[in-house]
Formats: sequence, C-alpha cells, structure tokens
Amino acid sequence: MADVTPKDVPVPVITMREHRSLWYDGWRRLISSNTARIGMLIVAVFILSTTYAHFFWDYNPKSDLDYSLKLKAPNLTPNEDVKSVHIFGTDKLGRDIFRRVVHGGWNSLRVGLVAVGISLSIGGTLGVVAGFFESTALLSVETILFRGLVGLAVGALPAWIAGQYFQAVLFAILGIIAAVFPRFLAGKPARTILFAVAGLLIGGCGLLVAPLVGLVCGVLGLVIGAVVVRPLGGGLFSTIIMRAMDIILSFPSYLLAIAIVAFLGPGLEKGMIAIGVVSIPVYARLARSSVLSVTQKEYILAARSIGEGHGRIILRHIVPNILSPIIVQTTMGLANAILSAAALGFLGLGAIPPEPEWGAMLGDSYRYLASGAWWAVVFPGVAIMLSVLGFNLLGDGLRDALDPKLRL
Amino acid sequence: MTRYILRRLISVLPTLIGVTFVIFMFQRLIPGDPAVAMLGEHASEENVARIREQLGLNRPMFLDRDALKAGNLPAFFDTQYIRYLSRLIRLDLGDSIHRRIPVAETLAIRFPATVELALLSMLIAIIIGVPVGILSASRRGSVLDSTTMIGSLVGVSMPIFWLGLMEIMLFGVFLNWLPTGGRLSTGIEIKSITHLVLVDSLITGNFAAFWDAFKHILMPTIALSTIPMAILARMTRSSMLDVLQEDYIRTAHAKGLSEQVVLYRHALKNAFLPVITIIGLQTGALMAGAVLTETIFSWPGIGKWIYDSILGRDYPIVQGGTLLIAVIFVFFNLLVDISYGYLDPRIKYD
Repeated sequence: MADVTPKDVPVPVITMREHRSLWYDGWRRLISSNTARIGMLIVAVFILSTTYAHFFWDYNPKSDLDYSLKLKAPNLTPNEDVKSVHIFGTDKLGRDIFRRVVHGGWNSLRVGLVAVGISLSIGGTLGVVAGFFESTALLSVETILFRGLVGLAVGALPAWIAGQYFQAVLFAILGIIAAVFPRFLAGKPARTILFAVAGLLIGGCGLLVAPLVGLVCGVLGLVIGAVVVRPLGGGLFSTIIMRAMDIILSFPSYLLAIAIVAFLGPGLEKGMIAIGVVSIPVYARLARSSVLSVTQKEYILAARSIGEGHGRIILRHIVPNILSPIIVQTTMGLANAILSAAALGFLGLGAIPPEPEWGAMLGDSYRYLASGAWWAVVFPGVAIMLSVLGFNLLGDGLRDALDPKLRL
Repeated sequence: MTRYILRRLISVLPTLIGVTFVIFMFQRLIPGDPAVAMLGEHASEENVARIREQLGLNRPMFLDRDALKAGNLPAFFDTQYIRYLSRLIRLDLGDSIHRRIPVAETLAIRFPATVELALLSMLIAIIIGVPVGILSASRRGSVLDSTTMIGSLVGVSMPIFWLGLMEIMLFGVFLNWLPTGGRLSTGIEIKSITHLVLVDSLITGNFAAFWDAFKHILMPTIALSTIPMAILARMTRSSMLDVLQEDYIRTAHAKGLSEQVVLYRHALKNAFLPVITIIGLQTGALMAGAVLTETIFSWPGIGKWIYDSILGRDYPIVQGGTLLIAVIFVFFNLLVDISYGYLDPRIKYD
C-alpha cells in the first residue's frame, strides 16, 4: 500500500465569486460568443453607416437622374464609357446603387424601429397587464373601477341603439353597485334577478324613443344586468385581450400587413403602422406568459405582503424580471420588420419612388435581370439579408447570454 | 375524442367571426368613398350610387337603429356586415370589379396551383430540415452542427423574393437551365383530374409534361421551402437536445442500445411534438409567403392574383384571397391541436 501523505492531495482553491449583475454577466457572455460578435459588428456597421449617410451625406432622390449612365455594370476605376466610379453599378435611371443602398438603410432602420416601437409598447403593455391581473386578485378599488368600465362598455350598445347615452352611465353605476356590495344577497338567485331587473329598467328607457327600441334595449339590459352582477375578475380582462390577439394571430402576419397597406394605399409610414400592428400579439403573448411565470415567485409574494401597490409591483418587480425575453424578441422583431418592409417595398406598397428603399429598389430592377443587369438586384438584396442576419445573430446571442439558467 | 374535436371546432367559430370582421373592416381603410375608389375619380354620380346600392354601402355598418325607431325589426339587422356574413355562408365572395366574375369561382380555379407549390415546398422542407436537425443534435458542437445553425439563420434572414430573383438570375438567365416563370410551357396540355399538374401528368402517364411541370415548379419550390426548412432544422435540433438530456435516454444508452436505436426509436418520438406544431403553422404561413414567390415566378396561384389585384385596386379579390388564406391558416392550427391527442397520450381531453 502506497503511502499517501497529506501534501500530495491537491487542495482546491475555493474563492467567492464576485457579485455580478445579470446584465454584466450577459454582456460578458455576449462578447465571448462568436456569432453574437459578428451580429453586433453587422448591426453596428448598418446603424452607423445609415445614420451617417442620412445626416452627413446629402442625397436628393428626386433630382438623382442620369440617363447616360443607365444600367452600367459596377466599375472600380473610371473608364471611357463611365467617367465616375460606381462600385455597385447604376440602375435603370442611372442612379448610383451604392449610394441608394446606403441611404435606403435609413428607411429600413426607421421602419424597424417604429414598427417594433408600436408592437412593443402596445403588445407589451397589454401582455403585462393581462398576465398580472390574470394571476392576481383585484383590489377593491380596482374591482369597482373594472366593473364600472365593464358596465360602461357593454352598456354602450343599448345606449347607442336608443341614442340615449346616459344609459351607459347608468349601466356603469349598476356595475359599481354590484362591486361595492358584494355580500348583499350573496349566492342567492335573488341577487341576479334584482340586478337583471334593474338592467331591464335601464334598457327600457329606450321606450322614450320607440316601443321596439325599448323592447330590444330592455332585453339587452336584462342580459347586461345579469352579467355585471357576476364576480368578474382580471381573468375576464385577460381573456378578452388574448382572444383579440388570437384573431390577429390567425392571419399570417405577412399577408395581413400586405392586405392592410393594400387598402390604406402605399407609403412607408403606412407600412410601418401595418407591420407594427400585425406583430402586437407576439409581444402580448410573450409578455403575458413571462409575467405569469414571474408572479408565482416568492419575491412577488414578499412585495405583496409588505403592502406594495399593484403599480409598484408591476414596475419595480415584474417588468425588470421579464426584460430578457422581451429584449431578445425585440432584436429579432427588428429583423422581421426590416424583412417585411422590404417585402412591402418590393410589391410596390412601401416607400413611394424615388425614395431609396431596399425592397423597392429590387422591385424596380428585377425586370432588367433578363438583360443581364444582375448588380441592380444583387446588392440591395445583400443589404437586406446582411442587416436582417445581423439582428438575428445578435438576438440569438442575446438569448443565450441572458438565459439565467446558464449563469455561472 | 369526438367530443374534443367537436369542442375545438366550436371554439374556432369566434376566431373565424373575428377574422371575417377584420377582413370586412378592410374596406373602411380605403381613403375616401370605397365606391369612388372602385370606379375611379371620373365615375358618374349615378354609377357611384349604383355601386353603393349593389355593395350595400348605403346601409349602416353593423346595426340600423333608425329602422328600429321606425318599428322595423328585420331591417335592424339588414346591414353591411350581416349581409357580408350571409354572403360568406353561401360562399359568395362578391364579384371582381374589373372582370365582373365571381371571386370565389376564380379562387377555386387558382387554388390548386398554390396548394401544389405550398405542399411540395413543405415536403422538401421536412425531408431536408428534419434529418439535418436530428443529425446536428446528435453531434452537438460539430462542424455539421455549427454549419446548420448558421445556415438556418441565414435561411431565416433571406428575403424569399430576393432568393427567387437570385435563382432566376443563376439558373434562368446565366445558365439557362430552367424556365423563369409559369406553370407549364405553352403547347403542353394535361388532362385535369386533381388540378395538380405534377399529379395529373403522372396519372395520365404524360412524362414529357411531368418533366416540364417539374422544371417549372423547381425554382419557386426552392425559394418557398427555404424558410420552413431553416425553422424546422432549428426546431428539430433544439427539441432533440432537450429530449437527449432526459434520464430515459441515459438508461437506453446504459442498456447498450445502439446510437441509431436510441436516436430514432427513443428520442425522436418524443422530440417530434414541437416539430409537428411548426410544420402545421408553417404550412399555413407558406400560403402567405406564396404572394411574393408566385409574383416573382408568375405562378398562376392565389398569391399572384392577390398581387395583381392590389395593383389593379380590385378590392373584393384582395379580401376574398386574404380570407381564404386566413381560414386555411386557422384550419391548420386546429389540425395541429387535434393531432396532439393522437401523438401525445399524456394529453387528456376533458
């Protein structure tokens, strides 16, 4: 048996890990990943070049026209045919494609930012609110407010039909009464009947207009009265929002954006709105499911038990903890928005010519492909692909970097 | 099971009504009077009035409260939206403005071309995407794996219309191997049975026509299948990686089962559920992607027709086509939901 002396045994060096925040950790992991680095590089080049071009390099698309340079192949040095240098060649109006690609990037960036801004602010807010109130009991003040709003919203229909808008206010008050006195005849059918009759009476005010109006509004009022007396909670709110989101999601997003712009008429601003609107559900769903998983955590329970208000819990404890999936989705959403904008532009529904926009440039030039003008099609397409790829690579890297499960 | 399917079918109804509502509201997006937009600026007033009457634009949108005041209950419901719904139930999508033919008829004629393109693309995406995903999961970190991951990101980032244009440039213009547009060369006739040209030509034994049709469909298929292929490869890979970390996989390895058996018999079965979801969702989405692909390759399907109608401001066609694609999309989502029950015995239907 060999002698084992204590000094032969290696002693592991145990040190306390210094405290690092999730964001610092994420950043370190991000810059240590090759794909994320490439993504960041592409995104940086894209953003810097297009903003530089937009602010410091004058370009007037309306006066940029030179038929003598129509569809010239790329050249790196001036020759007798083409006196100026066009490293990406020229298009059907003799415009320098390199210049238009760089300036066109501004439009893509703009569309991406505005569209994602729309869908993130609306979808994110809806999702957070839906998720929070779905998993939390309403405070009494919130219940009163919520019932009142429900009464106002559903009461608007009979009020509109009768043309007497005070009815909606009465229905709102009915909802508030139901919320203020939850124990009055609780659990007995009499409670429902009482409120239904009250609803019938309010709707019956339609009799002032015409007998038939009174009848229809009365029936509606009966139903509304029976509805507002039921214990409506945040779950209902969440269901309504998510149902509406499901309807938007049941269209392929591309097609919905195309259809919206087809009816609105072409234009970059309309395209931004359309692209933003169709991706609202993506953010709403993501935010809701993230909130649902966070609200079960102990720190939310702790915050609640020390009596923090709902608004404060949402802003201070929930939102910071759902940021990482949202950031990843936003990055990827930018990529998708750029891609959709290019598709709209290609179909002639995006930027209005002669405004430089990558998709529109492709749409302008692809008919000249048969005559061999490949450069007019290749370069704008490469620009789209690279910028989209950059955001996708970055988003992919962010997903890995911000995943707390990987935290070491 | 039957009850579950029935309930799912019923739960789709509100969604479908919402879809029709959105599509109905499209016409409110047209700046100005839709009737004027349809007839053009110089239309006479009586023509505009006639179109308004014909399209029911003189009726209120949802409910006619004035009719109720006058004591006319049926007229209360006789409004634009309700009329639109009742026409939809009779499969009447309105008439094309320019050609004066029913939209539904032309959609039915054009639909098989889109189906043929979309299904073939999906098939190719599955045949290539799924095995590549499995292989890269089983060799995590290898050259194949990183190539797949980067390749799939590039695939997702590629504008499909640009990919189509690049194909036309390379195979159509420079190499001149493949035709750049259409479904068949002129002069080739195929007896229509299923209206799917590839199938019809095979059934009738017309191999020359099959070869011609195949050459026409090849490029649009490659363009259209890129995105689902990339997504499928990524999804299969990540799903397989999840499953391969499970205990029962370690047990299977410990029993001495071969790598192949563990991978395909044990892991794949459980990893396939998310993949099925993606296949369902993407098949629906393919129909939408077809608008771009069909436009580039002059493929005579619904997408190209929608595009032409957008340019021609033929709104009923855009509405009808969008509705058809949205309904198919909803249907595929439903199919995915129902198929879960067959594939995953853990899911209970009550």
